[in-house]
Amino acid sequence: MDVIMECKNVNYQYPLTDTKQIENLNLTIERGKVYGVVGENGSGKTTLCAVLRGFAPSFYKGELTGEVLYDGKPLAEYGDEIATKIGFVFQNPFTQISGVKDTVFEEIAYGLENFGVPVEEIEQRVINVMKMTNVESLALKNPFLISGGQMQRVALASVIVLEPDVMIIDEPTSQLDPDGTESVFEIIKAMKEKKKTIILVEHKIDLIAEYADEVIVMKDAKVIACGPTKEILAKTELMQQGVNVPQAAILGQKLKEKGLDIEYIPVTEQDAVKVFENAGKAGK
Amino acid sequence: MDKSYLELVQVQKKNKIEGLYPTTKLWILLFFVIWIFILSTIKFTSIQLPLLNLVWIPVLLFMFYISGDFVKCIKACRVILTIAAIIFLAQAFIIPGDREVFRLAFLKVSDSGLKKGFELSTMVLSIAGAFVWVFQTTDNKEIGQALEESGVNYTVSYIFVSTLNMINVLSKNSQTIMNAQRARGVETQGNMIVRAKAFVPSFIPLVLSAITGAEERVLTLESRGFAVKCQKTRVLKLQKSGLEKPAMIVCVIITVLLIAGRVVLWM
Amino acid sequence: MAKKYSIKEDFSMMAILMIPVGVAVNVVGGQLASLLHLPMYLDTIGTIFTAIIAGPWVGAVTGMLTNIVTGILNPVNFWFIYVNVIAGLVTGFLARAGWFAVWWKGLIATIIMALVSTVASAPAVVYVFGGVTGSGTSLLTAVLMASGQSIWASVLSVEIIWTTLDRIISWLVSLGVMACIPDRTLVKFSLGELYTKKH
Repeated sequence: MDVIMECKNVNYQYPLTDTKQIENLNLTIERGKVYGVVGENGSGKTTLCAVLRGFAPSFYKGELTGEVLYDGKPLAEYGDEIATKIGFVFQNPFTQISGVKDTVFEEIAYGLENFGVPVEEIEQRVINVMKMTNVESLALKNPFLISGGQMQRVALASVIVLEPDVMIIDEPTSQLDPDGTESVFEIIKAMKEKKKTIILVEHKIDLIAEYADEVIVMKDAKVIACGPTKEILAKTELMQQGVNVPQAAILGQKLKEKGLDIEYIPVTEQDAVKVFENAGKAGK
Repeated sequence: MDKSYLELVQVQKKNKIEGLYPTTKLWILLFFVIWIFILSTIKFTSIQLPLLNLVWIPVLLFMFYISGDFVKCIKACRVILTIAAIIFLAQAFIIPGDREVFRLAFLKVSDSGLKKGFELSTMVLSIAGAFVWVFQTTDNKEIGQALEESGVNYTVSYIFVSTLNMINVLSKNSQTIMNAQRARGVETQGNMIVRAKAFVPSFIPLVLSAITGAEERVLTLESRGFAVKCQKTRVLKLQKSGLEKPAMIVCVIITVLLIAGRVVLWM
Repeated sequence: MAKKYSIKEDFSMMAILMIPVGVAVNVVGGQLASLLHLPMYLDTIGTIFTAIIAGPWVGAVTGMLTNIVTGILNPVNFWFIYVNVIAGLVTGFLARAGWFAVWWKGLIATIIMALVSTVASAPAVVYVFGGVTGSGTSLLTAVLMASGQSIWASVLSVEIIWTTLDRIISWLVSLGVMACIPDRTLVKFSLGELYTKKH
């Protein structure tokens, strides 16, 4: 097992609050896997992201006990360099533009500029990332004047360009239309192919079922389940914990209860087709 | 593609005056203000009017024109025209002076009022015009970059450029919110109390979203290595248009001539 | 509660990013006031707000930058840069001393700030502009002068009343904004803890 990040007995509480937002967290993140984080609103998903990136406590203040490790070393030991290790993208596309650049090209280049990367190298890296995130046609547009979906792609590009090994992506599509959502997930797919480690909070459970290797289920500041996507999302009883499960799993569960003999509970559409087809053939 | 992105994102200006290096423009501005003060000391007529202040208006119009930004500059001058008019009218017609120069119905124009009004309004107008010229022919990002190139801390230049951009964004958002409030039936016309009441619901959401935005932008900047201590590179390189030196020489010559002329007049 | 304040601590990333917001709030407040034809400036809300939550230096920079930026379109404002710097400093130091944590003390602090601003700006208004700066209150001052008042009396009386009213309204708007900011955001500013709902 190739572990890239680890949380050991982590507890975290925002300042001025009485309750913990992260309780007894023990989590191992393996290199190259996509982790889907699910759970009802207020269950601690966003806080988990902040803890994994170190923003809690460095920015949010508050109290953190336990250890958050990247490559075996505590996050704090990395200082500002952590930005090149762990990328962070969040909901609101608008607040993720630097506010001082007037072309998308320069916007994406901003992080590299700040790390003092030579100009020629910047150009090449930005071009590559623009291709990957499909924003090359926007290169000379003003980042203030593009659509939300486009901005979110630029935000992703601006982080990817720093080539972090881990990407934490917190509800990237909650403010986007279906087209925008699709284009964001195409980027996530491309990063997955590049063997990046991705921690993704997303409400659209079908997308999690499709893209995530592992699912982390949160409720009341605790991780209540964690494991391979196919196992976790097939547990329709999770619905009682306020977690959505995919349509395919609900359908599979219901048909199984009705006596249909299926190999396993499917979580994606594709699996469902396969499983039901096989069951149909066997039934004949 | 013919040009690389590195070339395409640079400031593209064909006009060599518009394309002067920002610091050179600031020097020109400084010289211009000095010229205004020199000429304003030469008084004409019995009430000592600095009539030469008027010279700067055609000079400015000419500068707007040769920079290729005439319309943009004139539009930007509208605010200042109003202010200059208020200053002139209030000084000339309302404030009582020592000696009446002439009377227009019930309006009395005094010598000191006319003088003060003329002096101030023409000065404000010409200095403002020079500022308009500098800032309408220069992009925000050029100013930021020029600051950094002259050794100003990048945080300061960040604050400056993002302020200029933030004003545009908030100003646009305030219009959106105002329109939305109107559509919801919040009255924006009528007596003062009604209008004052419209201020708060239009304004507070605007400020709040800006503050929440600032919170997330801290994280954005930190994720982009804003605080990293190292020699930062910049993709943007300010180019000189080639006229910097000639422009400075012309400025120095004009200044010398004006000072010499002024001294000769004294003697 | 003896807390030491350092300038460095005042200028946290959060405070640095509040400066553009403060300046923009000043400018847009002024625009909105004139759009609604209100007889007020309402162009110091951002300065007051940033000084109250982030202290005198952040307030002073916000005030200074506001007049620099607006001075680009109206250079009369360059003359009054120092006035907004003083306004930010006075507000910020009073805020540090805890004056803005209680409403009636906040009112007094606002009035003190308005008076200091008036006294600071009056000499420039009188000597440089002869009473008329082209701002909204200029005509009122001119009318008073026309009615036989001296220039000092006219400028001071108009400005004291107007500035004080304007600043009180601006302070009230700032209070409204602060009431809507969650505690966990407030504590990110150097003076934020003074205003959280529970200390």
